[in-house]
Amino acid sequence: MTLLTNATTPVQYRRPRNPAGSQIVKVLTTTDHKTIGLLYLTTSFFFFLAAGLMAMIMRAELAQPGLQVVSAEQYNQLFTMHGTVMMFLFAPPAAYGFANFIMPLQIGAPDMSFPRLNAFSYWLYLFGGLTVLAGFITPQGAASFGWFAYAPLNNAIHSPQLGADLWIIGLLAAGLGTILGAVNFITTIITLRAPGMTMFRMPIFTWNMLVTSILVLFAFPVITGAFFALLADRHLGAQVYDAANGGAILWQHLFWFFGHPEVYIVALPFFGVISEIIPVFSRKPMFGYKGLVFATIAIGALSMTVWAHHMYPTGAVLLPFFAFLSFLIAVPTGVKFFNWIGTMWRGQVTFETPMIFAIGFLITFLLGGLTGVLLASPPIDFHVTDTYFVVAHFHYVLFGTVVFAFFGGVYYWFPKLTGRFLDERLGKAHFWTVFIGFHTTFLVQHWLGNDGMPRRYVNYAPEDGFTTLNTVSTLGALLLGVSTLPFIYNVIVSFRRGTVAQGDDPWGFGNSLEWATSCPPPRHNFVTLPRIRSERPAFDLHYPEAAGNVEFHASPETR
Amino acid sequence: MPGRPTAASRRRRAGLRLGTALALTVLLSGCDVEQAYESALRFGLPEPISEQGENIHDLYLASNAAALVVGVFVLFLILFAAIRYRKKSDALPRQVRYNLPIEVLYTAVPFVIISVLFYYTVLSQNYVNELSESNKDGEPVAADVIEIGVVGFQWNWQFNYVQEGVQVIGETGRPAQLVLPTDTTIRFVQSSPDVIHSFWVPEWLFKRDVIPGRVNTFELEMHEEGEFVGRCAELCGEKHAYMNFSLKVVSPEEYESYIDGLQADPNAEILTAPAGSSS
Amino acid sequence: MRIEAALFGFLAAFLVPATVIYWIFSEDWTGTACLAFSILLAAMVAYYLWFTARRMEARPEDRPDAEIAEGAGEVGFFAPHSWWPIGMAFGFTVTALGLVIGPFLALMGGAVLAYTTLGLLFEFYVGVNRSQGHTLGQLRAMGERPTSMRKFLGD
Repeated sequence: MTLLTNATTPVQYRRPRNPAGSQIVKVLTTTDHKTIGLLYLTTSFFFFLAAGLMAMIMRAELAQPGLQVVSAEQYNQLFTMHGTVMMFLFAPPAAYGFANFIMPLQIGAPDMSFPRLNAFSYWLYLFGGLTVLAGFITPQGAASFGWFAYAPLNNAIHSPQLGADLWIIGLLAAGLGTILGAVNFITTIITLRAPGMTMFRMPIFTWNMLVTSILVLFAFPVITGAFFALLADRHLGAQVYDAANGGAILWQHLFWFFGHPEVYIVALPFFGVISEIIPVFSRKPMFGYKGLVFATIAIGALSMTVWAHHMYPTGAVLLPFFAFLSFLIAVPTGVKFFNWIGTMWRGQVTFETPMIFAIGFLITFLLGGLTGVLLASPPIDFHVTDTYFVVAHFHYVLFGTVVFAFFGGVYYWFPKLTGRFLDERLGKAHFWTVFIGFHTTFLVQHWLGNDGMPRRYVNYAPEDGFTTLNTVSTLGALLLGVSTLPFIYNVIVSFRRGTVAQGDDPWGFGNSLEWATSCPPPRHNFVTLPRIRSERPAFDLHYPEAAGNVEFHASPETR
Repeated sequence: MPGRPTAASRRRRAGLRLGTALALTVLLSGCDVEQAYESALRFGLPEPISEQGENIHDLYLASNAAALVVGVFVLFLILFAAIRYRKKSDALPRQVRYNLPIEVLYTAVPFVIISVLFYYTVLSQNYVNELSESNKDGEPVAADVIEIGVVGFQWNWQFNYVQEGVQVIGETGRPAQLVLPTDTTIRFVQSSPDVIHSFWVPEWLFKRDVIPGRVNTFELEMHEEGEFVGRCAELCGEKHAYMNFSLKVVSPEEYESYIDGLQADPNAEILTAPAGSSS
Repeated sequence: MRIEAALFGFLAAFLVPATVIYWIFSEDWTGTACLAFSILLAAMVAYYLWFTARRMEARPEDRPDAEIAEGAGEVGFFAPHSWWPIGMAFGFTVTALGLVIGPFLALMGGAVLAYTTLGLLFEFYVGVNRSQGHTLGQLRAMGERPTSMRKFLGD
């Protein structure tokens, strides 16, 4: 019944002539985790571009004092939608894109446990996301209450527009997709691992997706419930978030109980991506694998108990509890840093594009993480919260993690996905424009925040002294915008004409199982699986001398 | 290498020119160099004008210094690893998987660092949040504590001088001005009739949200006279950026005469009931 | 499966003291309720995984010395392709839109959602795909011959 082809010969085929429209039907009815992963990645990238465009408009407005580009209400819509799209419609779906494509390959599974549920999750995301964006084309515009939608600003009196309702239900749909996706990931990891792939032999990316999915299960239902209550307030005359009933603080607790795990939901998968890239390009195994796994679990657990550090200035929260736990969560994060550096230490490091994005991530996240430790302290936070300091902090951690690792992951796994490499020179140009553009935009914002510029301000006065730094920040944003061009060009051109990836493991030192099957993999991923005796089965297969010369082929016929 | 400039060196020189141009633009754009330098040492923090602000300022600078030390050290490690251990041969490096002593060290040291930070944080936060004694009505017991009711609304401020029975309300185009004396404990009692705002004077290094349905109270004592800009720091709708207020800190004698002027002014509204609760 | 159970169990165990301390010092109903329900969720999953693990011998993926050949045979049923997921997503979105636009739309969306959900549930139990949703044993018991032996490899 099984095929007996050798897994390492390139798949030679002529593109078959299909009936017109069959490609579209294939996409609309797909249940293949690889196709769904690609759909998630491309759709999330389009949302990234849309939110990036909103950011560019905001920065254009802020470059000089005065209102030059948009009105105050439009500006409020822009930052609301920028935050919403990035935090709900770009970052988690991009993570899901990588998880969908890579995770089943990494555990030796033929697909996800629930392929049709997987497809359902994706389509929910797409339709939900489009609903959220549809707010822009309604007469009164999109939601404008900030991506955290504080009560009572979010109620029918203060935000009556249809765009606000579309925001809520779009996120309900997308959120449901996220929850179902998490269910799928956890089930797949528990039930579809290959023989010998014990939990402590799973790749770090898979571990991170497991912890992320668990966090999704705990966080997203809370926000879903909060959204339903908000809809009831807005349309059914409920009084859940009524200010007189303490509704303002109630909403904040519910939102941030979701909101804080959410930032780890978007960060952990990309920490996992980095943890896949660094060992391969250092030609060494991940340093301190078990410590890294425990640190990830600690981050997941702690992240559920720190939510009110977003609420320090309300005067309504138990400050020492949240301050201590927020400080504490810096410890496992620091441990991960030393794991990554330790992997590079005494290695043979090369600097292909995935690796330089990984190093860019390390540098950027370092600064963001340190300002995060500062923010954990309530007295310091009292000054800088709700200012550009915190804007700078979260862009450093989010952009540094999600965007740098997204690009790093794309360059790294493009050969596996398509069978071709992305161009290296364009990749390096892309990296440097992103890196310089990012730091120019956001480094100065720490200053602006300390100096007294609040966030979500459409305008400031010339005598405030904020002009110079805002202009610098806008120039950086311009460079960031331009930086997407070499990437888009690279992807389009390399899809058809990139250097062909030879063999199963084109980068040469792949560790995890996806590098033990062809580029791209066959429909159900593996024709044959190697024996799994460590956390780096593909490396053991290709470098048996380093693994004690044990025979790693599953059977003599598959040598 | 002498001869025709290579593409790389041409790019480098263009980069240097651009960098110098940018630096000159920033430097010559009219900011006082010495002021900029001193501000730089404080990472852009304003000079605090209150006792509590001094406390926060010291904590902030010390924490910043610690963060800087850790950051420079880790950055050095990253760059060192990248440069020193770049690929030199095709030999596989030693496939080290773990090193328990180092792992324990780099778990314990950050834990010690954050414990110290937490300790100083608790000290500072208790001091900053401290309130002087109140009677059963919530009014301050000590006679020399001045109580100010702060009402943030869409989109301006109202300041109630509770004990004196006068108030100041800002209008569009005429921001509210809050006049306060130095060397006096001032209790702020704040609330909002509509949405959440935040009451922030950057020179206090402190803000507290103004929340509908909730009364927030904090106390400050200022030691520096001057005029300062105050801002709303929580998104409150369309004109969130347009509800600045002004803070004027004066000597206690000037404050008395200001209050007398306000009470005598027929245009000022006289309160008949204590303000500061949610309307 | 024990390690997965331990993972959820650790989460529940960690949240218990956190919740207790939080409640004692803050008396905040919201946060405590969220934490308490999180404990219940984690404990529920941990318990399910634990007693399932007890009832079975260690699976090949739980044993460090397992050979690939031990995983040979049918892994599961993987739907090769399906129209129902996008239909369900469409139905759900229309229903949600109906919540803010009007009950008529919610009803129409609800009908589409119900139809597509049932369609998805019974997809491999009716019509041409009738045999795929049942195991071989069930098919033989029903007197049917399986149309395809290639369940693993899908289409």
